[in-house]
Amino acid sequence: MPEKLVVGTLGSRVPTTGQARRKRRGPSFELRMMLPALLVLALITVVPFLMLIAMSFAKVRLLGGVSLSVNGLENWANVLTDAATWHSWGVTLEFFVLAVGMEMIVGTVLALILNSLRRGQSVAFSLVLLPMFLAPITVGLLGNFLLDPTIGLYAWVMQSLHLVGPGQSVLGSQSTAMLAVATLDMWEWAPLVALIVLAGLTSVSPSVLEAASVDGAGYLRTLFSIVIPTILPVLLVALLVRSMDAVRYYDIVHITTGGGPANSTWVISLQLNEKIQATSIDGVTTLIGQSAVIGITMLAFTVIIANLFVRVLDRRGLTR
Amino acid sequence: MNSTQNLLSRRMVLGGGLGLAALGLAGCAPTSKTTAAGSGWKQFSGTTINFISENTAPSAAIAANTKPFEDLTGIKVNITQMALENLVQKVKLDMSGGTSQYHVVYADPYQVLAPLSQGLTDLNQFVNDKKYPPVEKGLSDFIALDAAGRFEDKSKLYALPYDCPTMIWMYRKDLFDKYQSKMQQDLGFDPTPSGKITWEQYYQIADWFNKNAKSDVPYGTGQQAKQHDSLQCDFSNVLWAYGADYFDVPDIGTIGTQKPGKATLTTPEALEAAKFYDKLLKIAHPSSNTWDWDGLGNAFAAGQVAMCPNWHEYAASNEASLPGKVGYSILPTGPKRSANNWGGTGIGINANAKGNEQGAAWLFVNWATSPNTQVMTLKSAKGGGTPTRTSVYDMPEVKKAEVRPSDMPNMLTAAAVLEAWKPENIGLRPKVATWNQLDTIVYTNLSKMIAGTQDPTTTMQTMASQFDKVNG
Repeated sequence: MPEKLVVGTLGSRVPTTGQARRKRRGPSFELRMMLPALLVLALITVVPFLMLIAMSFAKVRLLGGVSLSVNGLENWANVLTDAATWHSWGVTLEFFVLAVGMEMIVGTVLALILNSLRRGQSVAFSLVLLPMFLAPITVGLLGNFLLDPTIGLYAWVMQSLHLVGPGQSVLGSQSTAMLAVATLDMWEWAPLVALIVLAGLTSVSPSVLEAASVDGAGYLRTLFSIVIPTILPVLLVALLVRSMDAVRYYDIVHITTGGGPANSTWVISLQLNEKIQATSIDGVTTLIGQSAVIGITMLAFTVIIANLFVRVLDRRGLTR
Repeated sequence: MNSTQNLLSRRMVLGGGLGLAALGLAGCAPTSKTTAAGSGWKQFSGTTINFISENTAPSAAIAANTKPFEDLTGIKVNITQMALENLVQKVKLDMSGGTSQYHVVYADPYQVLAPLSQGLTDLNQFVNDKKYPPVEKGLSDFIALDAAGRFEDKSKLYALPYDCPTMIWMYRKDLFDKYQSKMQQDLGFDPTPSGKITWEQYYQIADWFNKNAKSDVPYGTGQQAKQHDSLQCDFSNVLWAYGADYFDVPDIGTIGTQKPGKATLTTPEALEAAKFYDKLLKIAHPSSNTWDWDGLGNAFAAGQVAMCPNWHEYAASNEASLPGKVGYSILPTGPKRSANNWGGTGIGINANAKGNEQGAAWLFVNWATSPNTQVMTLKSAKGGGTPTRTSVYDMPEVKKAEVRPSDMPNMLTAAAVLEAWKPENIGLRPKVATWNQLDTIVYTNLSKMIAGTQDPTTTMQTMASQFDKVNG
């Protein structure tokens, strides 16, 4: 191991004749080959991002092509002092905790069940994964049908079990609407968590499990003392992936509740959409700049979350 | 000059002949009169245009039967249908990008025409240009031309009226017949739906059904009270009936304005309207706050409610689900009047469209709003249209369809709708460029009110202050 490090260090510090030649001639062959792809990537990511930042400090006129005029910090001040935007951030956090929490628990349980199957594992696995392949908008429509108090199967089951009153809809009550939309999201994305966790479960050493069994450890003891600690890195990766996605949640809530009732499911992406939707093209508007500010804050939130998880992974020595 | 005229005349004859031949091939094609007009229909043959529309019955009917238009003009038309909010975004992007992916645009007066009027072509240039076929029966044949087609400037015409759904009172005639005498005895008035019934009496009828007819229908009334545009539409009927309005500006519902001034939502009449609406929702079907117009339409058709205010274009689906059991009336009256929300829309042309595309788009607009095409959409199995031509309502075959059995079920609402369109009964939302923002303010606050987190007075005060902030 130490030899390898020395070789690596030396190799990187002492340029070979070939490397020196490449330095003289400009970009390397590899870089030149990658350049078109990098340019396309820059066009579709960096340029819009810079445009987003520019719009956040500008008034925008849309008619006949987008044109900007400087508006200083007004858009930022408007958004950061807007009670409706803060409310939607609060709702987003509520959704975030509920949906991601349920996805992690249900996904992990599903993975453990699938992992324990001795027969028909692949069939069961395929069935579990199915919701993940649906477009979120389809999941929303499906949720609308299933939870419709007139014709919905789930609504009928809940009414039969007296979980909701006759004719009442879980999507129409402030106390249950958020839980309902978070559950729909969980239904779609828990399989992804299951997929990731299932991959992690293959890294649990059978000999360690056998040893635990010989030592008399029960299922729960084995789960919490051996399995979970072993798959912790993949659990954190699953958490990271779902967390980043949950901030952008839009389709299902748009289709099912439209942000209601009484703004109880008005997540931040609906707030962003509302400002864009309200824009007229006839005049100069600050609404697009405000939408840009919300978009940037969403990005910042996602970066913070991602960094947080990466730091946790790093602290535990799991990124290496 | 004479030779040119003769040549044109021969072309007209040939064009008319070809058109008639195409008509014969198309079978039940709707364009006999349009084709007979002859000249100008073929001048953009080979052009392809795209029409973006809300997913409404007339567009579904036209999308299912574009062959007559293509045979008449040689123009290929692609029709894209979607929810209105998605349409608004797509049109906005198209216009702001300086492109014309969509040449013909479904121009909702409030969500498209008012905020995006500068992105639409003034249609007068086509109406007055002799090289185009004339508008059959002239512009005066259109119902609500100003409301559907103009904004701010009466000299400009941005859209031709294409559909005109209007909110009316839909009720289970079979149940009203069954319980009429008992209801009359209990309530002390004749409950037969009509413009003579007040909103307070509507409440009493709904409550009576809740308490006395559970075996036939779970609830008396249903409302489209989801946190959605539909909630604003539903509430506006009551607001106007009580003598209140969003703004106090003349012609704001027809021509519209960029500067509506201060909101008038804190008047005593407005507060009374909000209090009544809040009270009504307390006895309405509990799922009302999850229903938009489609949800309510489905619930009514499924027999969940005895009556509801909804757009008259749902008559076709009512007739399919509850044949012969549904009656129609104008909405109840308030202290001021009966107000029936008009939801008509025009179709216009994207100003970014170039050359032939503009001309071809105009031919489509002219054809799609012609009387015979409207009759075709009325008859369509795709749900039926809502004609915007006075002459259509005067046609004998259309008049005949006003009574059962009817091959144009939407016409069963004709008596109610024609009454609803009278100036004293029509309800017109304010046509202002900021309407999309104001609409969200209205339905968000109302949703809080009916959820019980905000009282009616605070709701209207909050609405008014937010309106004033948006409009400066």
